[in-house]
Amino acid sequence: MPKILLVEDNEMNRDMLTRRLEKRGYTIVIAVDGGAGVTLAKSELPDLILMDMSLPVLDGWDATKQVKSDPATANIPVIALTAHAMEGDRQKALGAGCDDFDTKPVELNRLLLKIEDLLKKFPPKPKA
Amino acid sequence: MKSLSFRWQLTLFILMICGVTLSLALVGLYLYDVRQFNAEIESRLEKTRFLMVENLTPLLEQNPEATDLQLGALGVDSQIAAAALYTPDNKLLARYMRPGAHEFIPPPPKVFQKPIFDTHRLVAWSPIVSNNKTIGLLYLKAAESEADKDRFKDLIKLALIIFSSAAFLAITVAFRLGGRFTQPITELAHVATTVQRTHDYTERVQSSASGEIGELIESFNAMLQTVQTKTSELEQARETAEGAKDQLEEANRTLEARVEDRTKLLAKAVKDAEEASKAKSSFLAKMSHELRTPLNAIIGYSEILREDAVDEGDTRTADDLDKVLNAARHLLGLINDVLDISKIEAGKMELYLETFDLAKTINEVIATASPLVAKKGNTLTLDCPPDIGSMHADATKLRQMLLNLLSNASKFTEKGTITLKLSRLPDGQSIEFAVIDTGIGMSPEQLTRLFQAFSQADASTTSKYGGTGLGLAISKQFAQMMQGDITVQSAAGQGSTFTIRLPATVEIKKPKIVNQASHRLTRSPFVEKRPKILVIDDDKDIRVVISEILDQSGYEVFTAGSGQQGLDLAVQMIPNLIILDIMMPGMDGWTVLTKLQNKPALADVPVIILSGASGLEMAMSLGAAAVLFKPIDANQLTAEIAAQLAPLPSSFILLVEDDADSRTLITRLLDGEGWSSRAAINGNAALRIMKLGTPAMIILDLKMSGMNGFELLEVIGKNPEWKKIPVVVVTSMDLTSDMRDYLTPRTVGILLKGRFSREDLIGSIRRSISTAALTPT
Repeated sequence: MPKILLVEDNEMNRDMLTRRLEKRGYTIVIAVDGGAGVTLAKSELPDLILMDMSLPVLDGWDATKQVKSDPATANIPVIALTAHAMEGDRQKALGAGCDDFDTKPVELNRLLLKIEDLLKKFPPKPKA
Repeated sequence: MKSLSFRWQLTLFILMICGVTLSLALVGLYLYDVRQFNAEIESRLEKTRFLMVENLTPLLEQNPEATDLQLGALGVDSQIAAAALYTPDNKLLARYMRPGAHEFIPPPPKVFQKPIFDTHRLVAWSPIVSNNKTIGLLYLKAAESEADKDRFKDLIKLALIIFSSAAFLAITVAFRLGGRFTQPITELAHVATTVQRTHDYTERVQSSASGEIGELIESFNAMLQTVQTKTSELEQARETAEGAKDQLEEANRTLEARVEDRTKLLAKAVKDAEEASKAKSSFLAKMSHELRTPLNAIIGYSEILREDAVDEGDTRTADDLDKVLNAARHLLGLINDVLDISKIEAGKMELYLETFDLAKTINEVIATASPLVAKKGNTLTLDCPPDIGSMHADATKLRQMLLNLLSNASKFTEKGTITLKLSRLPDGQSIEFAVIDTGIGMSPEQLTRLFQAFSQADASTTSKYGGTGLGLAISKQFAQMMQGDITVQSAAGQGSTFTIRLPATVEIKKPKIVNQASHRLTRSPFVEKRPKILVIDDDKDIRVVISEILDQSGYEVFTAGSGQQGLDLAVQMIPNLIILDIMMPGMDGWTVLTKLQNKPALADVPVIILSGASGLEMAMSLGAAAVLFKPIDANQLTAEIAAQLAPLPSSFILLVEDDADSRTLITRLLDGEGWSSRAAINGNAALRIMKLGTPAMIILDLKMSGMNGFELLEVIGKNPEWKKIPVVVVTSMDLTSDMRDYLTPRTVGILLKGRFSREDLIGSIRRSISTAALTPT
């Protein structure tokens, strides 16, 4: 099953998303800040990254930039999760290289559609 | 003579008359006396001659040659100076000389028959005849005797004594009398001189003189009395005036203090408002975040629980959790709406334009809306041409608008059809999204309030159908931000059609500037130098655009991206004009304006405010030279700058009027008459112009934000030069009698707006100024 890296500092959000995505069969890897997200993206090579934008240490935009600038991780699709209030963040997220975005609070069905769309576009490579 | 006192003049005059009179009298007397004396001598000479002839005749008859004839008897007459007796053949027989006298006895004349009497020399020649034969010749000469001489001397002495006595008497009398006449005049002259020197009008001429001099002195005293009265009245008036002046100055100080207080209060109010506004914004942002976080958890965990319940077949729990979820989502919607509307109202809502595939977006919307529509047994149909293609707009906002319309439609429709119809308009430039329902519809009255924030068609609707009533207001704002609109067609019971029309390509707009490509920019009034303009605006695009426009129009442009930077730059460069944005993060425009006004070097630099829809009054209160609303018209901007910087005509009418329409109207009217004019939006702006040049007259509105007409009149009244400027008041105020009493002495005319004709105004102006004083434009 596809492996999703969830970069999210808020524990409840992390817990909810993890549980609901796992329930739908996804493998979830968790990072609690941007730096860990970049590291885990390299080491875990997930099929998709759900990236919160407001993160401690390294924020979501910079983390995305790093992920997208590393050839090893550049092809991993990234969905930015932005707060509704921060519409400017979305634009920044796309600018940073995110492939799609969704607003928090997460509407799971919509998010699932986006995840499936992106996984179709970037089919998971058979793991070596 | 002029330098002599009147008294001396009088004395000399009397003396002169006296001397002349006496001299004439004495000369007359003397002449008379001499004549008498001569007559007397003559008569005595004649008598003596007769006697001598009578005596000598017998003697000579006896002895014609008698040489011993004695003439000594003549000595008895002291007046006979000499005598001689000649024979007919001119032989001297005898002679006599008064003792002590040296007389020359002349020879007898050649021929004479009868006595020769030379009265001039008092000499007599007398023949002595006997029997018709001349026997001798007698010579006699009379002369004044010593006694006579003494007599003349006595006469002269007497004359001198009389003369001296008379002169003395004349002088004394003249002096005494002169004193009597001249003393009052002298006193008068003295008092007059004293009054002239000391300006002491209480002095009076003390004199008992009567007659004309008395009258003169009385008149003079009366005149002094009048002068004294007038002077004291004048003095009183002056004191009153000074008192009034002091009062006025005091009043002015009070006024200034009040203005200052008010300005401070205002600045504080501005600051408070700004802080409150910031606090509100940050509170809203924070609250929305704070509210969202727990809501997220509620929604998220409820969904998990619901899924579990559904999985476990626990429908009851699943239903309950649905209710929780609905309520939570509703709450989230409310929070989002409130946040949206507050952002819109604060002007902070921004557009994020992107090109997106319409079909895909619409499908997402349909997917999201379907469960909602289905709830009340409605059918959702999509009417969309397959080649609808893509559009360039803010997809999120479009989504939100469509969802809002669909959600509204499903709220007010039961077991009906809701259609979402897309169409590209024939011009290909616009796209229409119509949401058509078969619901309850709305009455015209409800339609009017439809798009107003916090106002649903019916107050009861909220409780029945839910929602904040903000959705439509937000959607309408979104549509307008994207250069489109939302319209509605509805009738009660016949369903409603809401139509969103948007341009297929929403422009990356420079929302705050229009007309920038126009070639009708007003050029700088200065050809040689380029006036320096400082643009303070946090929006970089605005700075760039304004810089371009002003550069083209002949100005040197400096820009600052924040209030503080603008202030610093202004202090350094002292610009000729400042263009100031109001909404800036950090130090806002109000604060910058207040700080500018407080710096002496910058207080007179005109500031043009770039404002949103509100804040005109505040800008004017704070002393802005002009206020331009965003979006800014480049024509208007350059025209305003040129007007602010243009050198004042040598003669002009100052129009102080806050209403832009009235200003334009009156300015045109003045232009039409060929009169130069300058417009000011309130007293503060008027004063700034008046400091540069005194207007020929002022047309003054009374009710203005900032310094109003009355306050301006107060300031004008303080300045002696400005005080002379005729002022015509043009007002829409209902003037109380107090106001009229105040205005009447300070103005030359009061015209009530809407009640005066063009001719009234022109006439008023003509009357107050000489047309020649105004240079035709």
